[in-house]
Amino acid sequence: MMIKKARNRDYISPLIFMAPFFICFFLFNLFPILYSFYMSTLNWAGYNQKVFVGLKNYIDIFTKDKIFWKSVLNTLRIGLVGFPVAMVLGLAFAALLFNLKKFKSFFQTLNFLPYITTPVAIGMIFTFIFEQHIGILNRLIAGLGGQTINFIGTAQWAPLIISIMIIWRNTGYFMTMYLAGMTAIPDELYEAAKIDGASSTQCFFKITLPNLKSVTTFLVITSTIYMFQMFDEANLLFTNQSSSTVGGPQQSCLTIVWNFYNQAFGSNPRMGYASAMACVLFGIIAVVSVIGLRLMNGKEEA
Amino acid sequence: MKKAKSIITGITVLAVSLISMIPFWLMFSMSTYQSEMIFQNNPLIPSNYFMENVKTIFSSNFSRAYLNSFIISISAMLFSTLICAMVGYAMNVYHFKAKRIFYTLIMMTMMVPTQIGIIGYMIEMRNVHLNNTLLPLIFVWLASGLGAYWMISFVQSSLPLELVESARIDGATEFRIFFRIAMPCIIPGLLTLCLLQFLWSWNSYMYPLVFVNKKENYTIPIFVKSLASAFRTDYGAQLCGLTLSTIPILILFSIGSKNFIKGLTAGAVKG
Repeated sequence: MMIKKARNRDYISPLIFMAPFFICFFLFNLFPILYSFYMSTLNWAGYNQKVFVGLKNYIDIFTKDKIFWKSVLNTLRIGLVGFPVAMVLGLAFAALLFNLKKFKSFFQTLNFLPYITTPVAIGMIFTFIFEQHIGILNRLIAGLGGQTINFIGTAQWAPLIISIMIIWRNTGYFMTMYLAGMTAIPDELYEAAKIDGASSTQCFFKITLPNLKSVTTFLVITSTIYMFQMFDEANLLFTNQSSSTVGGPQQSCLTIVWNFYNQAFGSNPRMGYASAMACVLFGIIAVVSVIGLRLMNGKEEA
Repeated sequence: MKKAKSIITGITVLAVSLISMIPFWLMFSMSTYQSEMIFQNNPLIPSNYFMENVKTIFSSNFSRAYLNSFIISISAMLFSTLICAMVGYAMNVYHFKAKRIFYTLIMMTMMVPTQIGIIGYMIEMRNVHLNNTLLPLIFVWLASGLGAYWMISFVQSSLPLELVESARIDGATEFRIFFRIAMPCIIPGLLTLCLLQFLWSWNSYMYPLVFVNKKENYTIPIFVKSLASAFRTDYGAQLCGLTLSTIPILILFSIGSKNFIKGLTAGAVKG
């Protein structure tokens, strides 16, 4: 009797402790995604009669929808300029800070501030810096006698401004990650290298960099996932503009998520079609995640 | 030679820090201006209009937006941390067959981009008539995959299983053991997760954008957006609201920056 009771408890208690997490995950995270899959087979504005259209939405996305593919290219363009630069800068500053004897954590905290600032604030401030007539940078250019540049209003500049936002926001974060990684490298490695007469440059490329591989892998995966979901930065750069343009000048800043947000909740809602876009995006991110997990686990086994 | 090198390093670090501080400083400094004056002066130097801007935003119900943001973030923070701590406890203290499966599931939940389900989530919440409340903005944070993963590894490293065993022999119930014995052992981990959850929900922009459709439910980002109208955008007031909204984050961060950074880096460095 006693034994049976103990076994019972061991079987049920873990379930009780795990249940809230999995119930919440199902109700508020997984079910909405599954429901989106269902909605992606509909022609539906969200309030009228649902019409089942099968795979038509997907076929349209892949064959007709130029704007969707433009948004994919925009996202890649903004992200692939922003994140790699932020990562290299973050690594460089981490290496600089790591050798600093005083004020290390002070500077680390200071550079981490952009990462915790509300995105809304970042969007507004960047508008004030880069705006053509009143923006600080352009007033500086004008003051020096130069020609002002319409950074936010032209299609060749605006995506770059968003990349700069990404760099500004994430460099401190990447730096912090790399610093933590560098702290975890055992000192003996450096001491042994010094005895062998290695220069500090050699140390960096032969010891520091290879040992940071797992940090880099983690950052590349999480940034890629983040990149594909980019919305706040792009959307907020244009919120205070008088003309309510979707996607910025010539839609050059329309990211995938902004596009599907606009399709779903804009003036002409197409919930079904937008859901199909979300599902395609889900597929892209799933592929990236699986490749990423493989890379990370592969590292662990080695 | 060595000294010169460290001076150069110091100057570079200082310069970089200044650049990364400029937008932050601009937010504060511009919030002390009357909107019309911002662009006629050098906005790097603060002016004297801050209290006027504070008055402006509080007269248009900023306190309600602030309160809403607090309600959402505090609830999201407390409940999600508790839920994740329970997972961390269960995965370490009990032995059960499906453990590996659960672990894989949690790893997978970490990778699921929840924003993608936002349309389905909106329809779901509308069907249960919660779309005009603050609840959808809280619910979405509750099951945090990263949080669960973090708690599993934290409980593993800081809860001695012998303590749990001896409490069981003394006849304590499982919930009593969890709240009275396990929780005090993992306080640093709980604090880290609290900070992260607060930050994420406080800064969240897209969910309020979709779910908030009446004034009483405004959160800070939506409130700030509402200050821009077709007639006049009160930039000074907007920035003042944003500056005030950064204060809780700054306080939390300055109290717990070590824990905070530890939590963020945990996943990467262990990798």
